[in-house]
Amino acid sequence: MRPSPSLSLLLAASAALTGHAPARADETGSEQYAGYRFNVYGEDALSAPSLGDPRRYEVYSQQFLLNTPIGNRNTLSVNATHEVMSGSSPWYVLPGPDNKPIQVLSGATIRDHRSAATVALTHDAGGNDTTTVDATYSQERDYHSTALGAERTLPLNAALTFGFGGSFSHDRIEPTDAVLYERVLRAQKNTTSAFASLSLVLDRHSVVESGIQLDYQSGYLSDPYKLVSVGDALDSDTRPDRRGEAAWLVRYRHAVNENAALHLDTRLAINSWGQHSLMLEANWYQSVSGGWQLVSGLRYYSQSRARFYAPFFAANSGPYFSSDYRLGAFGAVAANANLRKRIGRWEFSAGAERYHASTGYAIGGTTSADPAVVSYSRVFAGLDYHFD
Amino acid sequence: MGCPCALHLEADATSIAQAAHAAVVVECMRLERKYSHYRDDSLVARIAASAGSDIEIDDETADLLDFAAALHAQSGGLFDISAGALTRLWDAQNGRLPDPSEITLALAVSGWRRVQWRRPRLRLDVPGMRLDLGGIVKEYAADRCAKICRDAGVTAGVVDLGGDLALIGPHRDGSAWVVGIKAPHVSGHAAARIELPRGGLATSGDYERALIVDGRRYSHIVDPGSGEPVQSFASVSVVAESCLVAGAAATLAMLMGRQRGGAYLRELGLPHLVIRDDGSIDGDIVRIA
Repeated sequence: MRPSPSLSLLLAASAALTGHAPARADETGSEQYAGYRFNVYGEDALSAPSLGDPRRYEVYSQQFLLNTPIGNRNTLSVNATHEVMSGSSPWYVLPGPDNKPIQVLSGATIRDHRSAATVALTHDAGGNDTTTVDATYSQERDYHSTALGAERTLPLNAALTFGFGGSFSHDRIEPTDAVLYERVLRAQKNTTSAFASLSLVLDRHSVVESGIQLDYQSGYLSDPYKLVSVGDALDSDTRPDRRGEAAWLVRYRHAVNENAALHLDTRLAINSWGQHSLMLEANWYQSVSGGWQLVSGLRYYSQSRARFYAPFFAANSGPYFSSDYRLGAFGAVAANANLRKRIGRWEFSAGAERYHASTGYAIGGTTSADPAVVSYSRVFAGLDYHFD
Repeated sequence: MGCPCALHLEADATSIAQAAHAAVVVECMRLERKYSHYRDDSLVARIAASAGSDIEIDDETADLLDFAAALHAQSGGLFDISAGALTRLWDAQNGRLPDPSEITLALAVSGWRRVQWRRPRLRLDVPGMRLDLGGIVKEYAADRCAKICRDAGVTAGVVDLGGDLALIGPHRDGSAWVVGIKAPHVSGHAAARIELPRGGLATSGDYERALIVDGRRYSHIVDPGSGEPVQSFASVSVVAESCLVAGAAATLAMLMGRQRGGAYLRELGLPHLVIRDDGSIDGDIVRIA
């Protein structure tokens, strides 16, 4: 476990002074710990009319974390992830009797691995003024992604903190069996993001933060593995080569009493593909006897469809079309519970999440079917070792 | 330091221990002279005298002011080094409750919002304002003294500045030091004994300076917003990697009061022990007696 937010603040604020007088010079900035997480993610089998194997994605992921101070003002954190994914994935949608959609799933079970590593370096200039730079590399058989980011938090006065940052990622795609299935041979896309936020201490129990995030993507933004039913023919998933999104985030933290805290989060976003989305989340942090901490929460999400989304298209549609369920209109509710307990230098955590999505949950309903909309369950367990 | 201080050292030779002891005494005198609230020639007095205009601050003091500013933010304004005028009103030595008009006057010359701090320049907006770094300097001094001992070649020992402890290092056989946490209201009695191999232990309490009028206790720990004493624990003790962090955590928990302070300590995740007015003890510091 990372040090609690309050302890991180105390340690960061005291680093300059304990640097004059380090009890242990290498441990003044932040805590040194290593951790391991095991995560199982499973999507529900498709219940709508379908062709192909209805068993969908399962992902087993392992994560290794290391956090270590370097000198008095810098902290290095390393995060390595390895995932094994298998299952069939939605391929295209055919019009059935009465124009009811029939989802076609990829015939063969896909099995793939993903490896990723992130290295982040945080410099603490004192007085809660921190700068973080990070780099991430992620690799699959057919996908390579490189990302760089930087962010800064800058206290403006005792109650107000300004945060800002940006990131850039470059992804390369080389689809498997490209010649066999007439997929694009290779393609790339770039994503640029920027954000700014203000965090205000309302009183001694509450903090509110509001921020804006802007994303811009360019390049090949289609899914090379998906097809679209256009008239009597099948065509490639074809999306615009640019996408902009603006999101507004508000976070509220309130200490309800000595054992409990309420966290409320909301995110409202709109993008240039004609979609808007809303996320509402509430989490309750409860300390219980024996040093246990329980976190339970509810989340609601709703999005509208992209203007070029439909389950299938009439002949001569275009120029853009996609029947990727992720671009359709749907809503989702999710519930999660996490439990955490520290024993000496070891800290154990475990949790579960259930996410249920449906077109019926979308705000304002939807007029277009989204047969592959996915629900999932997730469980995880973790073990951290604190070096001191 | 205005409190009983002790230095426990284990060294290869008496001369090494004596050299470390001398260096510690010099360092304590230096910090006393620089930050004392009671001396007219201290830096604190010079800052007060410069109220209304900018003064350039040295690196060490700037680090202390940055730390104080961070504690002010983290405590939602409860920790305020500019509230010295209020603290003095409720000092036990006065022997009486302050008039509401005195509280109003003290509030007028208190408040971090009236302090303009842009490292390295500091300005107190209102003449009569005075910074009180007493809430952090003693713990800082304990950490400094421990560092000085290590630099002098002493690897095992404890610096004890009025119950705020900084470990130089464990006993030379590697075992932890056994240290006592003072019992409120009972002079010379330890409420608990714990093993401490390194880091720091600090206690914040109102048992030595509480004002008692008509049998009612008024803490000298004052809410800088209302000017009234906070209803809090009899004492809070915290173990951390430095005495400075332990002291800050204990002081903030005292300022937050019994409800919020308890939650804050649990959220911090540092070993702690709280003693209430009725003598009941709570917390997760492992006690050995």
